[in-house]
This record gives sequence, structure tokens and C-alpha cells, in this order.
Amino acid sequence: MEAIVVEELTKKYGELTAVDRVSFKVSEGEVFSLLGPNGAGKTTTVEILECLRTPTSGDAFIKGLSVRDSSIVRRIKKIIGVLPQEFNAVGNLTVYENVELAAAAKQASDLKQVLEDLGLWEVRGRMFSKLSGGLKRRVGIAMALVGSPEIVFLDEPTTGLDPEARRETWLYIRRLKKQGSTVVLTTHYMEEAEKLSDRVAIIVKGRIAAEGEVKSLIARHGGKTKLLFEELDSRAAEMLRERGFEVEQRPSGRVVVRVGSDSEMFEVLTALRSMGYHVYPEIKQAGLEDVFLSVIGSKLSNTGELT
Amino acid sequence: MRTTATLIKLLFKTWIRSKVSLFFGLAFPIMLLLVFGTIFGGASPPNYRLYVRNLDVDSSGSPGVLSEAFIQALNNSVFEVVPLKPEDPTPRSTGFAAVRVLTIPKGFTSNLLNMTIANRVDITADTIRRMVEMAGAQIPEQARANITASMQAFTAFKQTIPAERKTLVLEGSPDDRVLQPIEGIINVIASKFELALLNASSAVEVKTTYSQARQMRTVDYYLPGYTAAFIMTNGLIGVSSLVSDMKRSGVIKLLASTPVSKTSWIVSLVVVQTFAALLLTAVMLAVGWAVFRITALPDFFSLSVILLGTLAFTGFGVLIGGVLREAEAVTAVGNTLSFPMMFLSGAFWPMELMPPFLQEVAKFVPLYYFHVALRETLLVGSLATAILPTAVVAVMALLGISLAVLTTKWRDF
Ligand SMILES: Nc1ncnc2c1ncn2[C@@H]1O[C@H](COP(=O)(O)OP(=O)(O)O)[C@@H](O)[C@H]1O
Ligand SMILES: [Mg+2]
Repeated sequence: MEAIVVEELTKKYGELTAVDRVSFKVSEGEVFSLLGPNGAGKTTTVEILECLRTPTSGDAFIKGLSVRDSSIVRRIKKIIGVLPQEFNAVGNLTVYENVELAAAAKQASDLKQVLEDLGLWEVRGRMFSKLSGGLKRRVGIAMALVGSPEIVFLDEPTTGLDPEARRETWLYIRRLKKQGSTVVLTTHYMEEAEKLSDRVAIIVKGRIAAEGEVKSLIARHGGKTKLLFEELDSRAAEMLRERGFEVEQRPSGRVVVRVGSDSEMFEVLTALRSMGYHVYPEIKQAGLEDVFLSVIGSKLSNTGELT
Repeated sequence: MRTTATLIKLLFKTWIRSKVSLFFGLAFPIMLLLVFGTIFGGASPPNYRLYVRNLDVDSSGSPGVLSEAFIQALNNSVFEVVPLKPEDPTPRSTGFAAVRVLTIPKGFTSNLLNMTIANRVDITADTIRRMVEMAGAQIPEQARANITASMQAFTAFKQTIPAERKTLVLEGSPDDRVLQPIEGIINVIASKFELALLNASSAVEVKTTYSQARQMRTVDYYLPGYTAAFIMTNGLIGVSSLVSDMKRSGVIKLLASTPVSKTSWIVSLVVVQTFAALLLTAVMLAVGWAVFRITALPDFFSLSVILLGTLAFTGFGVLIGGVLREAEAVTAVGNTLSFPMMFLSGAFWPMELMPPFLQEVAKFVPLYYFHVALRETLLVGSLATAILPTAVVAVMALLGISLAVLTTKWRDF
């Protein structure tokens, strides 16, 4: 069964169309990412799913329940867990008390379990305001996860975290998936979407530009694997070109050879060796970055801006 | 229900842990009450503590019967007697409470006894002499001479009684404005004591009765004024910034994504503020009682006024915090509403001290009705004069809570 079905969802803020006829489905137990730059409409989309915003048109169904039907909003809220964007818990409450707040709101009884699962039990007595950035975010995640929601929405869960804390957060998201939760993630980090999600929707200016399994998206839009040679002379490049390979000589002196498969890569290397070139290229497999570039036509910076 | 109870518990914790809310919610109003109550509150709180140094002791150190009885008489009057041993030094004034020491001289008991006997002899002799004079010729000449002779013997006996006037010494500070009245009181007690020893009763008695109209002291004015004013700031400044902080940090969003209702949230805020208001009232009354001897206890009506005022200003606080986006704007609006209201409403000083023009302005200030209603119900105990301001506060409460419910967004922030 589908956990979430989104149909032609549109949200206008006055003149601005923040979400424009967006449709997608999320299966149960899946990690689904909305990947896009700042202002793409990610938050607006998930907040409609969380019953925090009313769509202008279109509809979305959480386990078959329409978010437009105000009489069943409570039923939806009982099965979801939410980490709002840039969330900060209450500064002068402790870790325990903050999660207790969320637990009370959801009438959950797994407070201790969640604190232990997220490694927060030892620091439960510390004031939220005194925690490091990574721990703060983890408290937010605990507040989203308490009550064992079937569907978890994490809006930019790693933005602003240092690499270590980010990796830690990924660990918890992976564990969530293992436990069978459905996770909807928004992010502007390519790597994050690629590593964590089963399926990704690339969203720009309120529209979904591409959507699908990470692998098939890369296969469809990512292009070939790149072999990067630091030093390779023109003769070798010419030879490879003659043999029908796709060769690009960069002004920096680097040579890039694009190959469609592993056997093709093997052919390139044997050809070079037979001519006496003992060189080892850096192999760069295509990723979401390439998908993004080819679908959108620009790159996405680490701060979430299009460049 | 349990959800709301936990919400209340946690909100109360944030309130009690916030230095700002504790300062404005408790410490500051108490400081104001103490400072202005003392400066403008008239006489320092009546303090009739009297140290008594009794030198009238026998060789074994036990006090004379009459000095002990006299001290008892003092203690049963307005004084709170603190005994000093003969060798104890005079206590030093701490600067707050005046120190007064009464020294009872050595030989007080025996002297008083002797004086009493001497007085009785005088009185008896005098009485007999007068009676003899009045009887005149009815008493035979011989008998009259006898009486006169025995009277002379009587008077001679009196001369043998070693009676001398003993002086009680009252020692106090020249700045002590009540030292003279205290001397007067001690004099009266001493005279009554002497009369009692003579088995006589006094012909003149003073009975004090209290008139119906209680005189309002300035502190009586301040206490409800400050209490109301700071219940207001708790709402306008405290609640508004709490709500705006929680909105910005995403806590309200997170709560809104759970089954918790907006009503539970507002109810929790109101309950916590009511706690805070009652706590403030209790502490103000306790300080008022301890320092200024204000003996008001809140009754049903004053509690209702407190609840209504809390509802009104909590509502307005939720409104401000909910409508404005920027934290700075919230603080600015909270402050610019609160401080002029405090001064213009007459909560901080008796209205009569304000120019007539400002007295009129005060009637347009919401806080005015709250502090007047609180004063009338809490200290004056007059329902008739409380009814109108209370009605205004009730309307404000209704308005405040309605606006809070309308402007608290649980959706489409
Ligand atoms: N409450 C709002 N009112 C008006 N415009 C908004 C509101 N929230 C978001 N927007 C606008 O809608 C667009 C999408 O915003 P958002 O959904 O937050 O994007 P993202 O989460 O992808 O960064 C942006 O241009 C943003 O400025
Ligand atoms: Mg966003």
C-alpha cells in the first residue's frame, strides 16, 4: 500500500506559486527525498502533508486519508512524526523534558525507549540550550520519533550540522528505515539524498523536474562514468579518440574519458597499457549531482543555492 | 487531560527557570513594594519592642515580685518585652528597628512596697483627720486630743519607712519619633500599677473604638497596584515573548503536527499564568503582612478579579506573540504597552497625586480597571465599588481570550 499519495498539489502565496501541480507517491517503508534548492517549495509541500498548510488545489492522502478533510486531521496527526525545518526545542527545558513535551502531545509511552535509541538517555538531564548543535538536532529527531509514528517527516535534518554530526544523523535515519518506518526527507545535499533515499524527487521552483529510484535516475540522466587522467599527452588522447572513445582534453591538462560500462573502462586501460602508458585514472561514477546538472542545467551549492 | 497537565507542568518549569520572568514576576514587584512602601508608606511599621533590664534582683539573682509583675503588665499592653540581664549591654540598633531600653532600678520591689505603705498611712491619717474635723463638737474634746496624738505617732511611724522615689530609666534614640508616646504609655501603666497596689480603681477610663471607614495607607494602595501591574507585564511581556520564541523555534509547529489541540495549548498558558499571578499575590501579601502589617486575605471575589485580569493580559500576550513575526517587535510592543500603562493607570501612585487631566486619561487605560477592582476586593472589601471595574476587567478577559484563540494559528502560519 502507498503511505503517501500526492496528486496535482498546488500552493499559492498570493501571486507566488510555491508548489506547482506536484504529484508523487511514497510506498510504505520507503525513504523518499525531496531534493532541491532553497525556496523550491520543499517545506511547503511537506507542511501540506503534515496538515500544517492548506493546499490551494490538488490533494494529498496519508494512508488514504485526505489532508483536505478537516474532520480526519487528528487521525493523520496520530500517525505522523514531524521535525520542522530549523527546529529548536525549548531552551530552558532539559533533553528529557523536551521529549516529554512531544510524548505528552502524542500521548506516547515510549519516551525512555526513544531517548535510549538515540543515545540521549545519558544526557537527558542537560538543558537544551547548553547542548552542541548535533545533540540539539538529535533531540528534535527524538521529538519527531517519540510515539513510533508510521510516517516520519524530516525537513532538512542535517542543515547546519558539522560532517560528523551529519553522518550520525544519517545513521539514525537508516535505522528508522530498518525499523520499517516510512521517511520523507527534504534536503539540498546531493550526497544525503543519494545515500539515504530509495527514491528521490528533484524539485525546483515548485515543480518536480525528475523523480524515481536513485539508481535509475542516475542511469537515465547521470551519464557515463568518468575516467580522470592527471597527465596524458595528446598522442594518447588522439589514439583513444581514434578507437571511438569519448575524450575531452581540459585546459588544465587533464584528460577525461567517458565510459558507458565496466568493460569499456577495461578496454581503455588495456589500450593505454599496450602503448606503454602506465597510468591510473581517478574513476568518477555518475551521481545525483550529474543528474541534477543534466536535468536542471545548473549545480546546487552546499548552501542550497543554484549556481 | 493528562496531555494538558504535562503541558502545564513543562510550561511552568520554563516560567520558573526563566530569570526574566522571575524577576518581573516576583522579585521586581516585591522590591518596589518594599522600597516605595517604606519611602512613601508613612511611619515605619509600628514596632513596640521594649528591652527591659531589671536590676531589681535579690542576692540569689531572682527578680523582685513587683518588678516581675510590672514587666508582666508591660508585656500585656502594647509592648513586646525582651528581657535583658543586668550585665547585658544595650543592644545596638540595626538601623531598621529602633532600640528602646527600660531599666528597672535596684530595690524597685521593696521601694514600691514601702511607698505604698507610706501612701496608705498618709491617706489613712488624712482621712481620719478630715472625719474628725467634720464631726467637730460631736467628738469629746478628750477623745479628739487622743486621736491627734495617735495621728502624730502614726505620722512619726511613716517617717521611719524608708521610701524614696525610684526612677525608671527609658533609653532610646533621639530620632525615635515614638519614644515620647512610649514614655507616656509606660507612665500610664506605672500609675495603674500603683493604683492597683493601693486597691483603688481608676475613675477615668479610655475605650478605643474603630470607625467603619478604614484609613488607606499608601502601602495599601501600592500592594494591589503593583500586583495588578505585574500580572499585566507577565502577560504582555512574558507570555508574548514565550509564544513568539516557541513559534520561531518551531515548537508550536511541532505541537500543531500532533493531535494536541490549540485549546489545550491556550488553556495551559492561562493556567500557568494564573499560577504565576497567584504566587505573586501570595508573596506580595506575605511581604505586606511581614513588613507593613497589611492583613488582607484574598477571598472569592478578589481571586475572581485576579483570574479575570490574568485571562485578559495572557490573552493580549498570546495575541502580540502570535501576530508579530520579529522577536524585537514583540518585545517592543510588549514594553511600549506595559510601561506607559503602569504609570498612566495610577497603579504606581495614588490617583489623587496625578494631575486631573491624567486622572481622566487613566480611565482609558485597561490596567486602571484591574488594579482598582483588585484593591476594592482585596483590601477595601467593598463589592459595591468593585462591581464596575470588575465588569470592565471581565469584558477585557473575554476580549483577550477571544483574540488569543483567533490569532493562535495551528495551521497556515
Ligand atoms: N508563509 C509564506 N508566505 C509567503 N511566501 C512563502 C511562505 N512560505 C514560503 N514562501 C515562499 O514560497 C517559496 C517556497 O518556500 P519553501 O517551501 O520554504 O521552500 P524550501 O523549503 O524548498 O526552501 C519561497 O519562495 C518562499 O519565499
Ligand atoms: Mg525548506
